[in-house]
Amino acid sequence: MPDVFTASSVARQLDNCTFCPKMCRFACPVAEASGREQYTPQAKMDRLNQLRRGHVAWTEQSTDLLYACTGCRQCTTSCMHGNEPGLVLLAGRAAANARGAGHPALAGYPERFRSREQRLVEILRDHVPPDRFADSAPVGFWPGCDAIDKGLGDIDAALRLFDRAGASEVAVVAAGQACAGYPLLAAGLVDMFRWQAARVAAALKPYRTVVINCSACVYTMRAQYPAEGVNLSSEVLSLAEFLDRLEKRLQEAPAPSCNLRSVYYHDPCYLARYAGVMDEPRRVLARLVEVRELPGARADTECCGGAGLLPKTMPEVADAMARARLRQVAARGGGTVVTSCATCAFMLKRNAPSGVVVQDLASMVSGQDARSGPG
Amino acid sequence: MSALVAGAAGDLGGALEAIVGPLNLRRPPPALTRRLAAEGAPPATEAAYLVQPGSATEVAEILALASRIGAAILPVGNGTRASPAPQSPAKLAGRPRLFVDSRRMCHVLHLDETSLVVHVQAGLTALALERIAAPRGLSLGDFPPQVLGSTIGGLLSVRTPGKSSPRHGFIEESVLGVSAVLADGRTVHTRVAPRRSTGPDLARALCGSEGTIGFLTAAVLRLHRRPEARFLAAHALPSFEDALAAVRLALREEAAPAALRVYDAAEARAHLGADVCPPGKDEQAIMVVATAGPTDLAACDRDLVASAAAAMGGRQLDEKLAELWWRRRTGQDRGAALPAPVIQVTASPRRQAPVYRAVRVACAGMGVGLRAHASRFEADGAVLFFTLLGPGGQPLAGDELASARAMAEAAASAAGAVLLGSENREMEQYARELRRRLDPAGIMNPGV
Amino acid sequence: MSRTAVDADRLRRELLPIVGERRMSQRESDLASYGRDMWPRLLIGVRAGELPPDRPTIVVWPESEREVAAIVRVARELGAPVVPYGGGSGVCGGAVPILGGITIDLKRMNELGALDRDEMVVNVEAGMNGERFERAINRRGYTLGHFPSSIYCSTVGGWLACRAAGQMSTKYGKVEDRVAGLTVVTGRGDVIHTDGPVRAERGPNWTQLLLGSEGTLGVITSARLRVAPSPELRVLRGFEVASVAQGVEAIRRVMQRGLRPAVVRLYDELDTFINHGPLFGKRSDHAADVGPAADPLLAPAPGAAQGALPHIPPREHDGPAPAGLFGRALGLLGGGDAARRVASRLRRDAVAAALSRPRLINSLAAPLTERVSRRGCRLIIGLEGSRIRTGVEARLVFDELDRAGAIDRGEEPGRQWFEHRYAVSYRMSPTFRAGLFVDTMEVASTWERLMDLYRSVKQAIAQHAVVMAHFSHAYPEGCSIYFTFAARADPARDARRAYDAVWRDGLAAASRAGGTISHHHGIGLLKGQAMAAEHREAMTILRALKSTFDPDGILNPGKLGLPAAITHDEGEWAADEQAAAP
Repeated sequence: MPDVFTASSVARQLDNCTFCPKMCRFACPVAEASGREQYTPQAKMDRLNQLRRGHVAWTEQSTDLLYACTGCRQCTTSCMHGNEPGLVLLAGRAAANARGAGHPALAGYPERFRSREQRLVEILRDHVPPDRFADSAPVGFWPGCDAIDKGLGDIDAALRLFDRAGASEVAVVAAGQACAGYPLLAAGLVDMFRWQAARVAAALKPYRTVVINCSACVYTMRAQYPAEGVNLSSEVLSLAEFLDRLEKRLQEAPAPSCNLRSVYYHDPCYLARYAGVMDEPRRVLARLVEVRELPGARADTECCGGAGLLPKTMPEVADAMARARLRQVAARGGGTVVTSCATCAFMLKRNAPSGVVVQDLASMVSGQDARSGPG
Repeated sequence: MSALVAGAAGDLGGALEAIVGPLNLRRPPPALTRRLAAEGAPPATEAAYLVQPGSATEVAEILALASRIGAAILPVGNGTRASPAPQSPAKLAGRPRLFVDSRRMCHVLHLDETSLVVHVQAGLTALALERIAAPRGLSLGDFPPQVLGSTIGGLLSVRTPGKSSPRHGFIEESVLGVSAVLADGRTVHTRVAPRRSTGPDLARALCGSEGTIGFLTAAVLRLHRRPEARFLAAHALPSFEDALAAVRLALREEAAPAALRVYDAAEARAHLGADVCPPGKDEQAIMVVATAGPTDLAACDRDLVASAAAAMGGRQLDEKLAELWWRRRTGQDRGAALPAPVIQVTASPRRQAPVYRAVRVACAGMGVGLRAHASRFEADGAVLFFTLLGPGGQPLAGDELASARAMAEAAASAAGAVLLGSENREMEQYARELRRRLDPAGIMNPGV
Repeated sequence: MSRTAVDADRLRRELLPIVGERRMSQRESDLASYGRDMWPRLLIGVRAGELPPDRPTIVVWPESEREVAAIVRVARELGAPVVPYGGGSGVCGGAVPILGGITIDLKRMNELGALDRDEMVVNVEAGMNGERFERAINRRGYTLGHFPSSIYCSTVGGWLACRAAGQMSTKYGKVEDRVAGLTVVTGRGDVIHTDGPVRAERGPNWTQLLLGSEGTLGVITSARLRVAPSPELRVLRGFEVASVAQGVEAIRRVMQRGLRPAVVRLYDELDTFINHGPLFGKRSDHAADVGPAADPLLAPAPGAAQGALPHIPPREHDGPAPAGLFGRALGLLGGGDAARRVASRLRRDAVAAALSRPRLINSLAAPLTERVSRRGCRLIIGLEGSRIRTGVEARLVFDELDRAGAIDRGEEPGRQWFEHRYAVSYRMSPTFRAGLFVDTMEVASTWERLMDLYRSVKQAIAQHAVVMAHFSHAYPEGCSIYFTFAARADPARDARRAYDAVWRDGLAAASRAGGTISHHHGIGLLKGQAMAAEHREAMTILRALKSTFDPDGILNPGKLGLPAAITHDEGEWAADEQAAAP
């Protein structure tokens, strides 16, 4: 299979986009939410083509389009050229950084990332009882940075589920890192990403299996770590996959009943189109409640706007994407939307119209919202 | 209004004679003058003529002349117009009137049997065209027989919903091209093609505008082959509403009947015989349908309609009933002369039943009898025909009719029906402006 | 053509209260991106690295028809041109702002409204993307039946403004056959609705006068469209006929028997050879130059230690030569990387050389294809609709084709066509990258003139480009012909000259043969000069419509063969019309 990462392939992809009638525009959530020609994948790739060919100078203004993307890959699933704008544009960001033409909203990102890491590690240490941590364990639960930042209740729910299933082999990872590094790639900081990856790999060595509730980091750890020469000895699982594995043990345990007749499931882009994880979360939910599909489900899922650092570079568009995603639910009279990613949960919750409730998978399965009820 | 040259009357006659020849120029017949007066036109104070051009060139010369002197051009077809056109007296007062009768322009210019397309002059009646087409196994389509009496020009210039069939659509859509003369005497031809993307469909400016945009002189129309098979059927349904629902169901299944009609009980008894709906079955409705085309497909359509009828609680009746309807429809069998329905409205699928009910309620309230049928079904809707009756079952007349009719029409409109010949108020200014641009002297059928 | 002297700052100030800061832009890169649509003549310039010569003065993104009306009124006051923009997928330059002005991007008006199941009519805003619209009504159990090859990248408004057609138009009609009503902001700044049962109303059919007006009479903001229930059954089949003439006759017989297949596509010999022929095996190679054949669902992983992100190529690095249809058609193959590079350059040059002599290619093509393929012409038939009736109709269609001498090749060719029916748009890139230009010309006529139309236009184009054709969009009275042509010329100036020659001669031949110059792509800038031959005196009516709806001439000037000039009419309704009718 031809490698889309080679310079040759990228040149072909960039040229193919330039002359295309924008066949993928219907599938780009950024283009759809904003209505702007500039934000179609074609225009973004064409801009990168003009930049790399020297027709346009690398400046903060000219590189702005490279950031109008969450990397959701919905364009790729409909592109018959097999182009990968999601990944190629990230490479463009790296090239922009190298020329001092990065996005102004990401100025000083390395420092900000480092201080965020410190803060999140502390928050996790303070929130989770010390006996849940272990320096080594068969299974290490590493919540993911957005979960710590914005979804502590969902972390609690996950721990409750592990308890219910009697999964004593699971411990919370005691590491000095909270993030596998995807945001660094999204910022085009490849060197720093490599550095972070090495530290994370070292910290995760003691765990045979690592369970993470961040959809982007599943692919990052499985595919992009080795690409930077960082070898992870652990098996990497998304939380949904792990919960699916716990099936038998969860079923044997008593569980609070669910008073909902049905829920919708929103596939995080990075689970559906990067890691191919679509069945597991549905199986996990289906044991509890009827799972209904949103328009645009599985490989056709529509991005919540939370990835690619879009909430930092184009916050209004990011929120508009989340709103667009939930509009269908509201139009059908509302309901509950479950998702399996801390970033999606955050973006959707923050933009949920009235009548629409958003839940992370762990919270949904564990029986109630983290803030209320018996544990 | 442009000023008239004194003594133009004599000059006008002479000028017209020079164009069409003395045999084709006369005073307008009294019937024509009476009809115009009935539509609201003031009596003529200037010269009035009936002119019968024999070619588009002559029409062009007539219009050019009229433009120069500000005469009014009043197109005349076969006089079979279903609904009167209210005339605006101000626009007709104080100017010569030229009734331009296209019936001498009645030739078939080209019959293209490869493409099933015919190029005809506008004065040819649809009936005459059918007579020419029939020996070749061709036809304009399953249009209602009343429609066939009009000239082609009349059929296209005056829009009434009756000119449609479920199978062949609305007659305007059979037009592939038209020729017309504009007010200044220029002749336009719209290119003949099945469909185009060359801007607005300019032929649609000419069709339906009653000669105000251009005087139609010729048209290119689609023809259809005589169907390989035709099946006739009749069904009785529990109610008029059920019958309408059955039609909708059948059309949804893509049945494409050649003709389809739904009678309420009173109408069925009048049209098809008193015993078609026995006493006590006053809510019953009768559906008659003709399906046509390649044998298997026509049979399939027949069966689709039958299933739809059965699904709505219907029962199939003797074929003879359907044959009776069909013979009357195609003019093979006169039957008793029935009064023409006084109320004709069009209603979209969802509104048909409510409109029928509303008119029934209104009539019941007035103590007026009612008969109704629905036909001309197609995607947009259908036409509902109502006949108003007095206590003895005889049709109403005079003032009684006028007031009953007004109330019934009001009830129908309130329920969502659209009356025949409605004006599009929203586009009034645009229509006027378009006319002004093409006809600055205001000669083209100025009264409407 | 020179731009109007519209004060950019004043425009900005006047439009700001209408759409607000965020929904307007005068940024250079925004303006450049609205400077073109998919007109191949413009792509010649793109390939040459030229900047788009035309661009708007400002772009706005309204969200309601009220805003659109306000924008048009400002434009009238300032004498600024207004150009509506949908998906920018038009191939005639209809969205190019040749005099600058205000480009109104409709795509933020993309809501789907209510679908009335009884009436089978749905309300939709003009800026909604075609594929998203179709999927949304599919979910409710309906279809519009409108499948242009641009469905993924065009808007509903664009379809209506150009009288577009889809691949199943033989059953469902062109888009203009499915419109129950329009909401339009006219050039006067009025919001008008053309709904209402046309059957009952007197006067011109305003819906049909606004459809196809390509933004010159008004800006379409929403429409009521007639939908059909989603088909219960779809039948696809491929046939073979000995010649184009035999195929045309077969289709005519089917249509005139009163049968209505959804899809009818007859490919001439060259088109059959290239798209359905032996060199490409079972899978038609529509999408030349494809990337990974593996499951696109899973993101590709970089090789070990290859780097987490793709490599951006240096400026001189060109992509590999397209392994596209022309290269493979000449059957050159190489082995190994270096050999492949040499071969691909050779191939490119050979292709280039060959395509600089289109007459040679065209004259070789017919006997070559016949001899090599002995396949004649491919005919694809599709039917869909309610289960029982479609089954009956399909049998009748196949019987009729059999009687007409067509050989049944089974379901497979039909299914293949269906699976790749949108792939044609993916050919643009490899073809332009290979140094060619490619375009299509779609004409139509009655059956009587069809073969003559086919031969005349083909001959006219063949002087300048390699040309093939297929027949589709069939009617009982005639059919449309879709010519695809390509040629190579360098530099851009010569390419444009060759391109213009094709169109000049091709359209002239079409008009002379009694065909129409456009069946469904529209006029735009490309065919403006041919409008006079198409409409002749009827242009008077078009001009009258223009002055009625757009007295100041601000709406999309220079399109549809109308003048590229702003007029300042008195603009008000004529004084003597004030008198009310009794």
